[in-house]
Amino acid sequence: MARDFDGGADGADSEKMTETASSPSSKRGRTVRNTIERRAIVGLAVATIALLLGIFYYPVATVFIDSVLVDGRWTGRVFVSILQDPFYFGEPARLLAGEQVGAVIESVLSPDRRLGVIGFTAYQAALSTVASVALGLPAAYLLARYEFPGRRTLRSLTILPFVLPSIMVGVGFVATFGRNGTLNAVLGALGLGQVNLLFTLEAVVIAHAFYNAPLVARVTTAAWESVDASAVETARSLGASPFRAFRDVVAPQLYPSVLMGAALTFVFTFSTFPIVLALGGFQLATVEVFVYRLIRDLEYAEAAALALIELGISLGLLYAYLCYEAKHTVRSRGIRPLPRRPLTPPSFSVRELLPRMGLAVYAVVALAVFVAPIASMILASLSGPEGLTLANYQFLIDRQTTGASFQVQPWDAVRNSLLFGVASLAVALPMGVVVAVLTTRDYRGRKLVDAVAMAPLAVSGIVVGLGLLRGLVFGVEVGGSRLAVGGGLAIIAAHAVAGYPFVVRTVAPGLEGVDHTLVESARALGAPRARALLDIELPLVWPAVIAGAAFAFAISIGEFSATIVLASGTNQFTMPIAIERFIGRRLGPATAMGVVLLVVTSASFLLIDRLGGDEVGF
Amino acid sequence: MNRTAPPAVELDGVTRRYGETTAVEDLSLSVRDGEFFTLVGPSGCGKTTTLRLIAGFEDPTRGEVRFGGESVTGVPPEDRDVGVVFQNYALFPHMTVGENVAYGLSFTDPPGGGSDEARVRELLELVDLGGMADRDPDTLSGGQQQRVAMARALAPGPDVLLLDEPMSALDAKLRERLRVQVREIQQELGITTIYVTHDQEEALAVSDRVAVMRDGTPEQVAPPRTIYREPATEFVATFVGDNNVLSGTVTAVRSTVRAEDADNSGDESGYSIAGVTVDDTTLSVALNGDSDPTAVVSSGDRLTFCVRPERLAVDADRNAVTATVTSAEFLGETTRVHLDWEGRELLLRVEDPPTGAVTVGFAPADAHIVDRQP
Repeated sequence: MARDFDGGADGADSEKMTETASSPSSKRGRTVRNTIERRAIVGLAVATIALLLGIFYYPVATVFIDSVLVDGRWTGRVFVSILQDPFYFGEPARLLAGEQVGAVIESVLSPDRRLGVIGFTAYQAALSTVASVALGLPAAYLLARYEFPGRRTLRSLTILPFVLPSIMVGVGFVATFGRNGTLNAVLGALGLGQVNLLFTLEAVVIAHAFYNAPLVARVTTAAWESVDASAVETARSLGASPFRAFRDVVAPQLYPSVLMGAALTFVFTFSTFPIVLALGGFQLATVEVFVYRLIRDLEYAEAAALALIELGISLGLLYAYLCYEAKHTVRSRGIRPLPRRPLTPPSFSVRELLPRMGLAVYAVVALAVFVAPIASMILASLSGPEGLTLANYQFLIDRQTTGASFQVQPWDAVRNSLLFGVASLAVALPMGVVVAVLTTRDYRGRKLVDAVAMAPLAVSGIVVGLGLLRGLVFGVEVGGSRLAVGGGLAIIAAHAVAGYPFVVRTVAPGLEGVDHTLVESARALGAPRARALLDIELPLVWPAVIAGAAFAFAISIGEFSATIVLASGTNQFTMPIAIERFIGRRLGPATAMGVVLLVVTSASFLLIDRLGGDEVGF
Repeated sequence: MNRTAPPAVELDGVTRRYGETTAVEDLSLSVRDGEFFTLVGPSGCGKTTTLRLIAGFEDPTRGEVRFGGESVTGVPPEDRDVGVVFQNYALFPHMTVGENVAYGLSFTDPPGGGSDEARVRELLELVDLGGMADRDPDTLSGGQQQRVAMARALAPGPDVLLLDEPMSALDAKLRERLRVQVREIQQELGITTIYVTHDQEEALAVSDRVAVMRDGTPEQVAPPRTIYREPATEFVATFVGDNNVLSGTVTAVRSTVRAEDADNSGDESGYSIAGVTVDDTTLSVALNGDSDPTAVVSSGDRLTFCVRPERLAVDADRNAVTATVTSAEFLGETTRVHLDWEGRELLLRVEDPPTGAVTVGFAPADAHIVDRQP
């Protein structure tokens, strides 16, 4: 074969090699560059952890200290008073306050029991979780079991809610369910009268389902697709009916994913903020909204204590879930996934028609929940009293040129958003990549690093914002002089903290998927660990890196909670903040701004989707 | 001072644990310079871990690895001057064949001077892949990828070549051809090579010495012929090739034996014989070793010995037992016959398989003792 290419050279060449293979001159030269490369990973790790301490742990610790250090004295008083206050904890709070068990139970059972803010928050989270699972499972069934044009696109769209700014979704829901919204227009045209869902629990729950049902669908679809068809076929050949085979073989492989979707939904909706602020107002205040209100009222101690109680509950739930997950990760990668059925029924038997009719009903509901808000927002942005118009966009431009300095300048918001997006990306991307590297390698203490690096995902933006405000913006006393960080920098820090876990979550599965023998081969060939990362792993996972970057950028663009805490009283507002300012008074410009936001985040989504969003480890 | 050269690679009391499980237990081995040394054993015996300890991908929990007499504890893989070829070849998929082979040259100059390009060409020609430098690895066949991996590992001129089941993903014919080529390259370069395989036949075919591993320790380290003919333990006897293993009680020991008694194949050297009673049958078994065997084997001892299936002869008169044929596997050149002898399975390898009841026997010298319990 190829020996003909240069047949004669072999002998001579190998003689030379025999000579040199064992001679000392072939020993690798150690250079200064090698030493730097050798230490690079450790250096980057230390820098990342230091940065994380500076922009996350220190500020959050400040919040904690705020809640226990009141007027210069250490005290648990603030916590105790919250825990004993039925306003927060509902009737059970009276137990903690030392009341009779019997009396408390009696009032819990009575119809006019008080849930308290925390009870209500849990209640709406539970309802939202049920709604999300109910809306997500049919979608998973459709995506995993049916073949139809656009299936892949629909599947990738399930990642979209992650990058849609929640305040924008809020605007969309106002445009749909508000007094002059699309729903009432449709109902009016049908002569069915008016409904007002705005500022009701229903609207909040539906908006939460908009966000979280795709997550449930996503994780469940993945599990369903990894069910091995031969396992089902084995069950059938052993005598199981299709239903029994589903119940005994398929369903047990889906439960963990459904539970994961539900658990994450509950935790996300428990700490919901912008949705409730936009759709519920203070009438339907959840814990997070109250924390925000307390911050606005400068009640920092109470705000901090309440936020920490919320965080404790969230982390507890997350921990319980992770414990469950650790025990139940028997992910069998389906060698041969279940075959997909065509969406058009092959015959008109009941067995073929029934599930498809169910899916048709579901499609209508899904259209109303998922498509209507976005469509309504776009429609509302283009309509005025006299039909289609660009007046709302014109308003944004006019406001920029003529608005007073205290008013929201639309272009400033766009510019700030882009600026913060790029700047926070510059921080979040390297951080995320380094953390991904640290969490995919085996060493003692890896679990700790994992937990430390992923905690920001569980801590609400409000707490991060408050921490950055109290810890960095108000300044740190260092050796007599006061170090303060500008509001803009703090916002960038907050966005980086919010965004980098998404980089980790996209890059880590990619790195995990890189065959470790590739890295080992590179090292045996003389590459220090950092060089192997640079030469082998990163080139192989670069689509995931870009996807992670798009994620982090989109998160920054849509970030609301921390930004509103940090931007209040400054001119550092971003697009979401501008929407919030507009939403109460002028829905038109708010929707126009929402469309601008939609365009920016959709572009990020397209990038994520093209470059490996499927690998996102949720 | 006249010292012999230290072994190229040496493991001294190496233990490697992962939490509760012990992969390698108190392992001591030395591999000579230029030797083709093979670690063979069933899966989970610790052979791959041993290789990874040598490469530096793992650190010993206890003990020490030495290269040329010097400890390499704490030396990262990139500084050990080893070439590694993995079972899956681990070619960098985003690089061409040439870039793969050249990768190691970014960290060292090509041995013997010359340009990187020349070195890459030289190595690719060595493995019969000249002219393939611009191809993508995934356009190559498994066997070609394996040879690229080999060229890549050799390019920086490593002191030691480590091969981790490099052929197990290939089909049988190709495997046989490639193992000859690997052996040839190793001989040409004279490079110390440590080879891991679960295939005992492969191990016997290519190695200078073989270590048969079990549960993290070597059962026997010896040249292939010794491993096959004089297995040190029952495990080695049955793991390497087919074997008939029998146990019985020593009922007689005779130290002076007439030549014709000792061996009916005409071997004149006399040696000691033990009469071993297996159930009701007493079999004559030649005692291993050249020192006085009666000193170590005495009546009442329990002896375990083995006889290769090809050493069992049909209608032999020494140590004859009557057994029944239960099944036969036609293997081409020979047939493997499964016999039932009073509830024990015996294996027989012959060209013409018998049927029904058959008398088989063996010469005392064809029996090899693997265990003795006083």
